[in-house]
Amino acid sequence: MRKVIIIIILSFITSFHVFSQVKVDQCLECHKAIGDQPSTLFKNDIHRLKGITCSGCHGGDSTSDDMEKAMSKTSGFIGVPKGDNVSKVCTNCHSNAQIMVKEYNSALPWNQEALLAQSVHGRLSISGKERIVRCTTCHNTHGIVRVKDPSSPIYPVNLPKTCSKCHSDAKYMRTYNPALPVDQLNKYRTSEHGILNAKGDPKVAECASCHGSHEIRSAKDVKSKVYAINLPKTCSICHSNSNYMRGYNIPSDQFEKYSNSVHGKLLLGKNDFSAPACNDCHGNHSATPPGVESISKVCGSCHALNAELFASSPHKKAFDQKKLPECETCHGNHEIITATDKLLGVQNGAVCKWCHGDKPESKAFQTAKSMRELRDRLVNEEKKALLLINDAEQKGIEISDAKFKLRDAKQALFESRTMVHSFDQSKFREIIDKGLNVTAFVNQDVSSSIDDYFFRRWGLGISSLIITIVAVSLYLYIKRIERKQKSTV
Amino acid sequence: MKNYFQNLYKWIDERVQLQSLVEFMGEKYVPVHRHSIWYYFGGISLFLFIIQVVTGILLLMYYKGSEDLAFESIHFIMSKVEFGWLIRSIHSWAANLFILAVFIHMFSVYFSRAYRKPREITWLTGMLMFFMALAFGFSGYLLPWNELAFFATKVGTDITTAIPLIGRPIMEFMRGGEDVTGATLSRFFGFHIAIFPGIFTVLLTIHLLLVQRQGMSEPLFIEDEEKYEKKKMPFFPNFLLRDLLLWLIVLNILAILAVFFPWELGTKADPFAPAPAGIKPEWYFLFMFQTLKYIPANIWFIEGEIFGVLLFGIAGILWTLVPFWDRKSSRGERNRFINYIGIFVVIYIILLTILGWLT
Repeated sequence: MRKVIIIIILSFITSFHVFSQVKVDQCLECHKAIGDQPSTLFKNDIHRLKGITCSGCHGGDSTSDDMEKAMSKTSGFIGVPKGDNVSKVCTNCHSNAQIMVKEYNSALPWNQEALLAQSVHGRLSISGKERIVRCTTCHNTHGIVRVKDPSSPIYPVNLPKTCSKCHSDAKYMRTYNPALPVDQLNKYRTSEHGILNAKGDPKVAECASCHGSHEIRSAKDVKSKVYAINLPKTCSICHSNSNYMRGYNIPSDQFEKYSNSVHGKLLLGKNDFSAPACNDCHGNHSATPPGVESISKVCGSCHALNAELFASSPHKKAFDQKKLPECETCHGNHEIITATDKLLGVQNGAVCKWCHGDKPESKAFQTAKSMRELRDRLVNEEKKALLLINDAEQKGIEISDAKFKLRDAKQALFESRTMVHSFDQSKFREIIDKGLNVTAFVNQDVSSSIDDYFFRRWGLGISSLIITIVAVSLYLYIKRIERKQKSTV
Repeated sequence: MKNYFQNLYKWIDERVQLQSLVEFMGEKYVPVHRHSIWYYFGGISLFLFIIQVVTGILLLMYYKGSEDLAFESIHFIMSKVEFGWLIRSIHSWAANLFILAVFIHMFSVYFSRAYRKPREITWLTGMLMFFMALAFGFSGYLLPWNELAFFATKVGTDITTAIPLIGRPIMEFMRGGEDVTGATLSRFFGFHIAIFPGIFTVLLTIHLLLVQRQGMSEPLFIEDEEKYEKKKMPFFPNFLLRDLLLWLIVLNILAILAVFFPWELGTKADPFAPAPAGIKPEWYFLFMFQTLKYIPANIWFIEGEIFGVLLFGIAGILWTLVPFWDRKSSRGERNRFINYIGIFVVIYIILLTILGWLT
């Protein structure tokens, strides 16, 4: 009870303080009498509540009831600001830390204008005279309210509609970027974010959550929050915050898992843009988890061959019947690690074993076992060929042709890894055999080169021996001649 | 068998009077003294040149002197052609040993004053062959069209631009244009297998004829030392057989080098690639290359590089013309100044080559 009394007293003091700051605004008094729209809207404007009168933006003397005097140029009246002057009027206070902090005790940042100038919206409009947007484009003109006020056009629930005023206007957007889609709002409304936002949830992601507010940059700009290498981090601001995500019944470890995945390591660690970011699997404006039946299509947008082979394999029907998510069942989702040979076969750690491990007599068990054996054989043969090549290189033998040829075996290894997804032993064997033929050829070629190496040494030994014999004979012959010459002298 | 050879000899003798040549050779003697060993380096140089001609002709059967095929053809020779690796390695090794032998031969002639009257022409033809040997090396180095050779040729041909007035036209003549391209390769190939061998053969013929005609020069000290007992050996068969013995040893050394240290091919030249670090010319150009590095950017009013090139040019000319300004030796007098110059040049070349190799 005591707490309630204290709150009532504090509220009274606060509201008294606020209203006591509202000065008598003679401009507003007259315009109210006329009943025009600006004065009607300005009544609840945050600026008026903070004690700023019409002259705060329009200049002039708002204390005078003499219209001539109040709206005279000598008293600084500027009339209705046009173009970028609108933003300049706002920045007179909003970019001035002294005014914002000392006079209005505001916690708002005072760099919005600077951020806007660098943003995609800060570029010149088609007229070439002003920026594409000014403050009032998003914040309204005379009826400006706090962001947290549900009536604000930039209140999270209202923001998608505010942005769409321009971004869904194909005719308008065409003048700036004809390639940019104009269906973002429609897509957004189909997303989990958009559905909850439409229900009035201000916590779910809206335009500014991902793109930023004043600092919005083109998605192709490396500094953009939605640039591929920045996007996972942007999504993680909400999705890795377990407190924030409480109530939505989804885990908050996706970013951590993704960072350790093969995709995350490539994109975040090596800046490899061929690896997907969050939006590549979930969509961007229409972000939603892919359904069980569409996972192979989503993964298949990059891993096309694997998806195609899987779709025509016997597993497709079985997975559909059991409602198993296709690629995800064996490879996982956010934490997808590099697929190794360990996944194939019926030994511990192999994914085939999960379903087929308890039926050793079944065809599926035998197929998985045989496929693994075939692949192991090719891997071993390739290793053997590499060792031979290494040995030959150590001996200084020229084997670049064999080395080049061995790339076909590597290719067969890659192809066989893809062909696993057909789960067809004969097709798989065909590729393995192709690789084995290559390794057999390379092994034979390099072995004969190594034999040639020893042949060279033997050849040198024999030649040296012959040369030595001839040289010694020659030396003895010379000595004999010289002895004969001496004796005749 | 013996009769067969006698009949063959008789058959030839009847037609070309071989006997008089044998008698001439039989009357020819080679002085024997404690520095006789140096006489053999002329023969070794000749032997290595013959090896170069033989292996070069064999390589020609497969080598293709064009920008697109040169590297591949050498690769083919080394990996597919039967004993191609041996021929190519011997050609490369023999080229280097040839230049080394020529260097030793030149200095031995210089220090023993063998250039003095009446052997000025022998010395001059020898010096011209020495310069041609360097040109053989320089032109042959580019032929595999590998990365090192490409950039070394670029640097080497670029140095000629330091010669005032004629430097740039010389460079463009060598390169067949502004840059080292396929045109340079074709040009170097032509020089290496046709023009240089042609000129070299003429010079070599004159050189050998003069050596045969005038005989081996005796060092001055033999004439000085009265007590020294003059010894000599017949050129044929004694000296020739000793020559042959050395040739066999050199042949064996070449075979060992070719088998244990096969000449590398490297990577194919890419004119658009940046020059790899540590580009150096062949070892016999290294002392000049290193000197140019040490010369400051400007000396008095002359640019450092021009100064260096002019310095080597003048030094080369003076060295070549030594029989004409070393009057004392021609008169049979001792000239220590020649020794001092020679020792300085030998030490300078060895030192700068080592420095160039190490840096």
